Amino acid sequence: MAVQELELKPSIPSSPLQNFWQTFSKNRMGFVGLFMLIVIITLAIFAPVLAPHDIKSSAGIEIGDIYNPPNAIHWFGTDDAGKDVFSGFIYGSRVSLIVGFFAAFISIAIGGTFGIVAGFYGGRVENFLMRFTDLFLVIPDLPLIVVIVALTKPNLLNIIFVIGLLGWTTTARIVRSQTLAVKSRKFVLRAKAIGAGNRHIIMHHILPLVMPILVVNAILVISLAILSESTLSFLGLGDPTAVSWGQMLNFAFGRGAMSAGAWWALFAPGFGIVWVVLGLTLLGHGLEQVLNPRIESHHLMPSRPSFQSETVEISPKPAKGKNNAPLLLDVQNISINYVNDENIAKAVHNVSFQLHEGELIGLVGESGCGKTTLVMAITRLLPAAGEISNGHVYFSGKDLVMLTENEMADVRWSGISVIFQGAMNALNPVRTVGDQIKEAIIKHIPTYPSESLDTRVIELLDLVGIAADHKDNFPHQYSGGMRQRAMIAMALACNPQVVIADEPTTALDVMIQAQILELLDELRKKLGLAVIFVTHDLGVVAEMCDSVLVMYGGVTAEYADVDTIYNAPLHPYTQELLKAFPDLSKPEKKLTSIPGYPPKLDALPPGCRFAPRCPAVFERCTIEQPALHDSGDGHIVSCHLMENS
Amino acid sequence: MNRYRFLIKKISWSAFTILFVLILNFFLFRILPGDAARAGIHDPRLTKEAIEKIRVRYGLDKPVINCLESVHPVKLGDCTINPFETQFFIYLRNLSQGELGISFHSNRPVTDILGERLWNTILLIGAGQILSIIIGMVFGIFAAWKARTVIDYSSLIISLVAWSLPTFWLGIILLFWGSNHGLPIGGKMTPGISSYPLLYQAGDTLKHIFLPTLTYTIVFMGEYMLVMRSSLLDVLGEDYILTAKAKGLSTFQILKDHALKNAMLPIVTIIAINLGFTVAGAIQIETVFSWPGLGGAIFEAVVRRDFPVLQGAFLLIAISVIIANLLADLTYSYLDPRVQSEQ
Repeated sequence: MAVQELELKPSIPSSPLQNFWQTFSKNRMGFVGLFMLIVIITLAIFAPVLAPHDIKSSAGIEIGDIYNPPNAIHWFGTDDAGKDVFSGFIYGSRVSLIVGFFAAFISIAIGGTFGIVAGFYGGRVENFLMRFTDLFLVIPDLPLIVVIVALTKPNLLNIIFVIGLLGWTTTARIVRSQTLAVKSRKFVLRAKAIGAGNRHIIMHHILPLVMPILVVNAILVISLAILSESTLSFLGLGDPTAVSWGQMLNFAFGRGAMSAGAWWALFAPGFGIVWVVLGLTLLGHGLEQVLNPRIESHHLMPSRPSFQSETVEISPKPAKGKNNAPLLLDVQNISINYVNDENIAKAVHNVSFQLHEGELIGLVGESGCGKTTLVMAITRLLPAAGEISNGHVYFSGKDLVMLTENEMADVRWSGISVIFQGAMNALNPVRTVGDQIKEAIIKHIPTYPSESLDTRVIELLDLVGIAADHKDNFPHQYSGGMRQRAMIAMALACNPQVVIADEPTTALDVMIQAQILELLDELRKKLGLAVIFVTHDLGVVAEMCDSVLVMYGGVTAEYADVDTIYNAPLHPYTQELLKAFPDLSKPEKKLTSIPGYPPKLDALPPGCRFAPRCPAVFERCTIEQPALHDSGDGHIVSCHLMENS
Repeated sequence: MNRYRFLIKKISWSAFTILFVLILNFFLFRILPGDAARAGIHDPRLTKEAIEKIRVRYGLDKPVINCLESVHPVKLGDCTINPFETQFFIYLRNLSQGELGISFHSNRPVTDILGERLWNTILLIGAGQILSIIIGMVFGIFAAWKARTVIDYSSLIISLVAWSLPTFWLGIILLFWGSNHGLPIGGKMTPGISSYPLLYQAGDTLKHIFLPTLTYTIVFMGEYMLVMRSSLLDVLGEDYILTAKAKGLSTFQILKDHALKNAMLPIVTIIAINLGFTVAGAIQIETVFSWPGLGGAIFEAVVRRDFPVLQGAFLLIAISVIIANLLADLTYSYLDPRVQSEQ
């Protein structure tokens, strides 16, 4: 399905290189770096033209020319031999760039080959190559380079080779892990299956995908090589016949620039090194951001402030809960947007529902219909880009939408807790499960006697069927099902009134899913919990729920009690969903799936959001969005069919 | 895999690496054209007898190792000779007794020369590393926590610039500035103050170590900041941070109890990988500030072509780095309970 989705994206009629350039040119950091590099490369190429003075011959230099401060003739002053620092500065760029590029070329060639071969062939070859790499990784580079250059003749070629031959280790590691990641992709496997040779696969399938990472790494390797060269030259191990920035500094530092106060002779060459290395660093950073974009957003970033937009549609009040149980949670006209630099995605629009004591409501719909967004808004856990743009969430006399972050923190877990998908990462891997349960109790019941904390944790674990001796285990020592149970135990730690279960059985195998669901159902009856259950499994809904809210494209499609939803669904979407769901009592029923996908939230259709896929679509549906319509007894539907009839 | 097998595996790998370095070090100084003894021998003023004496003194009259008479030029030899009578064995035996040879320059044992300098380097590296790690991490934490704000962008730029500075040049600039502001221009203590009260001596040393440490800190903090930032950003995007937030924990609690321990893991690795660079930094800083440490010893040995000191210093540094790497590995396994069960 993921593959199909990719293919559905509109293709942009331009080459990958053009695409890359478009994104890159917007990256300020990378652009500045590129500019800095172009300047220095120009200096290096045109050095003989640009340098105002000859740096090789000392003809015409007198004793009074030594360490002259910057002036009209010598822009950067003169050095210990009376030579022009500016000219030396220009020529120095040549050595830096030559050593940097050639040494890096050697390193990249070795490291790249090692990495690809190790990653691609695996097994013994990989083991051997990576051990070999580890060996060189721990040996300190620069001391070894110094030793080797000190023992051999310090000429440019030797320096390039020594730096190049010792600088490949990080490249090998990075390329290997990228190769490993790429190797198992579909088209590589396909190429293998149709009998393509290893060489062909490496050259045509692996290398292009490893290339971006290799380029970013190459830039780092170049800058390290340039730094190594300048350090060697500064230590007096540079090529004596080539003027380099490190060597200029060696001369100035060793020959009295410090005591002569000749800051220009000390400053200019170093400035050159910083210019090149900083240029490369910025370029590398920029390239990385473009080639490997990260969403730099995290859970501690405050989400956007809530507000009340003015146009509030009043939706009809839903029916009372079963047996007239008191109202716990009243969600009114909630709308949620995701906002980024360019556009606003209306993830949820004008959804209302009510939850009574002991009630279990199912939030149903395909992925991307706004179910999780809705429950995250109730607990005010929306990501940084999310904002509540309208509506209220009333819980025990307070409007949660209006609470400050601190007030909200008190409501969380003690009032409303969440069962996340515990199977994967919802538990902290470096802390024991018991510890993570205790923490919640300590936070919300500070008066809880510390000596009975352990007893309470054991009691909670027992409640979900985990033996007491697993209390001090780490999450990775649990099976997937146990982790989900632990997550449930944690959610119950502070006796919450409302529990939100956000697809708690995803990623578990079918047997375990059934156990977890049974456990949840049992617990909520035992403890009288009110539960919001997010799922796309209609079977679960039928078995457990009291009421159902069917969402489509961020809006309410249908909201009613469970019997009505199953026996008399009015919205075509609900009807279609039910057709896709097997029914044991009607084994002859033919299962059909709904063609197409839910709408993209930043490109919603103008009319009814389900119109493009609706079997009963007519003209009005494509123009006008249907309002929420109460078809009697709290059965709410948003469909034009209702209004026509 | 239990803890002991993990320990044994790591330790034996480190031992193997050290052996590799020993062999590399042995052959390096015999293969390369500037070989230690030949540098001394190729002096036209020496008589044949004197040369022979030097050869015996450095053990060069013996075959290199079984089956190999000499490496430069390569000459195969007898394989049946007593292995204890080879240069390689004598090299290992001397090493095991802590003997690293005699300095060409000062005629003193290399072990003594390096011994008195080792502590100065440890002092400098220790102070510099601790400061740069603390400062880098604090900036990194703020940058990640306040991601995509002015705080984040400015610490990013500062770090990238700090990373790009050549260590020795930053040292020179700071030294230039310091010498105009009453700070000492090098060394570890003002000469002739050993009779002064201890407190005064300590103050004097502090003045001397200030600029080298500052250089160190600036150069290394950038990288720690970048690593901390990206590592913490990753961790703060994890599901368990959302769980912690949903539990009602405060931002401070989440950072302290849930994020940092996880985010620290890459820092431990970077500290280990950086040890090599740390030593490279020491060579440059000690050269600029005439700090009497191992790095300074390497520089002087290079200038004087004093190969035994160079060889000894390289060996000492390489082995220290390997052992420090081992310690970092063990720390990592202690911090992350998953490591031992995965391997």
